[in-house]
Amino acid sequence: MKPMKKLFIPFFAIALAMSYAPPGRTATAALRVVATTEDLGSLANEVGGDRVTVVSLAKGYQDPHQVDPKPSFILEISRADLLIAVGRELEIGWLPALQASSRNAKIQVGGPGFLDASQNVRILEIPTGQITRAMGDVHPQGNPHYWLDPANGRRIAQAIRDRLTQLAPADKAYFDQRYADFDKRLAAAEQRWDATMAPYKGAQIVTYHRSWPNFMERFGLQVMGYVEPKPGIPAPPAHIIDLIGEMKRSGARLIIVEPYWSLKTPQSIASQTGGQVLVLAPSVGGVKEATDYIKLFDYDVSQLASALKQTSGK
Amino acid sequence: MDPAILQFLAAPIVASLIIAGIHAYLGLHVVERGVIFVDLSLAQIASLGATIAVLVPALGGDPHSPGVYWMSLGFTIIGALIFSMIRGHEANVPQEAIIGITYAVASAAVIVVMSKAPGESEHLKDMLVGNILSVQWPEVWTTGALYAVIGLFHYVFRHRFLQISVDAKAAAAQGVSLRLWDFLFYASFGFVVTRSVAIAGVLLVFCYLIVPSVGGILFSDRIGPRLAIGWIMGTVVSMLGMYFSVVFDLPTGAAIVCTFGIVLILMAAVRPLVRRNGVVAATASSRDAA
Repeated sequence: MKPMKKLFIPFFAIALAMSYAPPGRTATAALRVVATTEDLGSLANEVGGDRVTVVSLAKGYQDPHQVDPKPSFILEISRADLLIAVGRELEIGWLPALQASSRNAKIQVGGPGFLDASQNVRILEIPTGQITRAMGDVHPQGNPHYWLDPANGRRIAQAIRDRLTQLAPADKAYFDQRYADFDKRLAAAEQRWDATMAPYKGAQIVTYHRSWPNFMERFGLQVMGYVEPKPGIPAPPAHIIDLIGEMKRSGARLIIVEPYWSLKTPQSIASQTGGQVLVLAPSVGGVKEATDYIKLFDYDVSQLASALKQTSGK
Repeated sequence: MDPAILQFLAAPIVASLIIAGIHAYLGLHVVERGVIFVDLSLAQIASLGATIAVLVPALGGDPHSPGVYWMSLGFTIIGALIFSMIRGHEANVPQEAIIGITYAVASAAVIVVMSKAPGESEHLKDMLVGNILSVQWPEVWTTGALYAVIGLFHYVFRHRFLQISVDAKAAAAQGVSLRLWDFLFYASFGFVVTRSVAIAGVLLVFCYLIVPSVGGILFSDRIGPRLAIGWIMGTVVSMLGMYFSVVFDLPTGAAIVCTFGIVLILMAAVRPLVRRNGVVAATASSRDAA
């Protein structure tokens, strides 16, 4: 067991070194913002600038439904001044337990430091009335992938601006100015994206899961089916056969998949319909090009437009 | 290490030590009986029960409601009944085969049930499987109390439980009801596993059950020393795994599982040295004499 003891010394040194980061902050401390996804983290950075430090928990290449918490998550949340969550039950599998473990009263649901980013945005697919099996796969609180519409990104940024202003009223002018700047850049980018997507309005596409309704609505595309309506649960054969038939009939050729799903089923469908599988980034950090919120759309729009150009021959 | 993190890890550490304690003991039985995958199988049966309960609207559909717990416990008891029936049948079907089949069918049944569920059910799986990092104190205390009761039950009847695990034929010859004691074993085992999986997840619970007793077998042929080695190993690996998890910022459960693997390899590597010192030879000869 003696060599073990020797091993401990370097490990301990590393631990000490890693724990040493925080104490740099003083009187005009930056607000500590923890975002559950990189999309929200990117928007918080846009608005907060150097008055905030932002940590994003789930990386963009991970499925935000399923995140394996690490000790650093609890530590970050325990020290956070503001916790921004996607909400709509997206993080229900992992975030509530971390909030409870953090023993940070500020960032509990309803606390001054908890922001559910979905409160003021446009949510699609909210079921009305009783949810029944016949309706298929629905989120009781609507589709949680709402950040994939730039108009919603703007609304999230507004909510972040307002909350940051509440937490640090002295910096109101700074946050207002940062938001205005982001708003301007986003509006310019939206014109660019709309122009790129304009020729493909009304095109029919298939997506793997229901992650893209906001994105497709924004750019005027029609989602005509899903590969696996319930991710992780293989679709019944009848569903795949129906989907292939539908795709042939409607001329839909493009199947959009998130980076964390297997490409096998989509590829076999594509090979039977003469279609093409396209991996798009559902989040900032989902591909290396998508380093912030605007670049995420830059990437997805250009990929989608060139794939539509190939498959539709326009 | 950052002192703040210790505060947050206190509950997971205590939970892992409680789990290590009872599972190292139950693992000895499981390995003696040669039913290595029985915990995975029972855990899967329990999760089938929980899945059905969540999807029954009358039970509220909340994965944390008491109805879900009772339903999964009820399914575990049914599983215990099945496993207590399979021993001693004349048809030459190995117990492991039945256990494996039960595991596969229960897993598939979960998928089938979920596919018929209204609403998003895919993250239901994650809600049923715990993460040791997020365990809360009240859960730790009730689990500790429950395991203490079960541990006491096993302590009181330790000779009987040991006899049917090690030498069932002799026990049967003495007129002991194998069915009854098998059922009591699997039912109490099911209680523990259902609870542990909800706290720590399937992989970690499997390791806490099997690896310490394998570690014990490497160094001793007797139950007492094996148990002692298992407990020491479970405790050391829990602490070491937590430590790695913090220092390298790894998912805690996976870090402990990998630490179990590394420590077991190290133990296997030093075994020849220990054997040369005569420890294994001594225990072996003392058993031969007995």
